[in-house]
Amino acid sequence: MSEALFRNEPVPSTPYVADGVSISLAAPLKRYSLRARTAEALETVLNVKVPQKIGATEGGIACLGPDEWLLRTAAETAMPTGAGLPVAITDIGERSICLIVEGPRAAELLMTGCPLDLDNFAVGRATRTIYETVEIIIIREGEDRFHVEVWRSFAAWLWTAFTAAASH
Amino acid sequence: MILIHCPYCDEKRPEIEFANAGQAHIARPLDPSGQSDAEWEAYLFIRANPRGRHHERWRHIHGCGRFFNAVRDTVTDKFETTYKAGEPRR
Ligand SMILES: [Zn+2]
Repeated sequence: MSEALFRNEPVPSTPYVADGVSISLAAPLKRYSLRARTAEALETVLNVKVPQKIGATEGGIACLGPDEWLLRTAAETAMPTGAGLPVAITDIGERSICLIVEGPRAAELLMTGCPLDLDNFAVGRATRTIYETVEIIIIREGEDRFHVEVWRSFAAWLWTAFTAAASH
Repeated sequence: MILIHCPYCDEKRPEIEFANAGQAHIARPLDPSGQSDAEWEAYLFIRANPRGRHHERWRHIHGCGRFFNAVRDTVTDKFETTYKAGEPRR
């Protein structure tokens, strides 16, 4: 119910706003790890299009690896279990939190610790990568907007690192 | 930073996203209990340590997560090629 609203998050609930970039906790969102040998096997279960190419997104589904996808969906969505079928649909919503990095300096901020060339990272692309030593998943939702998924126990550190970098 | 071509992502990615996983093409014996102590020791512990061309397993651990094989020169640290797990030795 409203339990999620009162839960303690490891980062502040008020956005950090600096010159050209803001960092904020995303609205509550369900996340699932989808595993299957083929995208088609998942399409049969979910009844939606599942991207084939690593890094591509389609709707709320990002292809992270040859047999791995990340599904983000509204908090109320009911999900099939895939029981008995050759797929694994696992709720990982409690494992990580999502930060939204937004503004004209968003890519620049992420590149202070992420080794990818985000100037050449198209809108709609997603990937697992690393920020300094912390594993993250980034999804470019817009030219100036990134969704950053980070494991809960690393989130406080990442928030500190992001806000420190943003203040410079 | 070295860029390594991941054969699954099919692009060059920064070295820091990868983990080395030792020598490549070490096949686990199909009949472990039929191995002599010497054969088992060789399988578990004995590895090549060439000066130059070396076949290695790498994992794109902070990326697509896949293991793959690579030919790397141990002197220059240059990657000659990378290829998917299960493909023949190059
Ligand atoms: Zn990869």
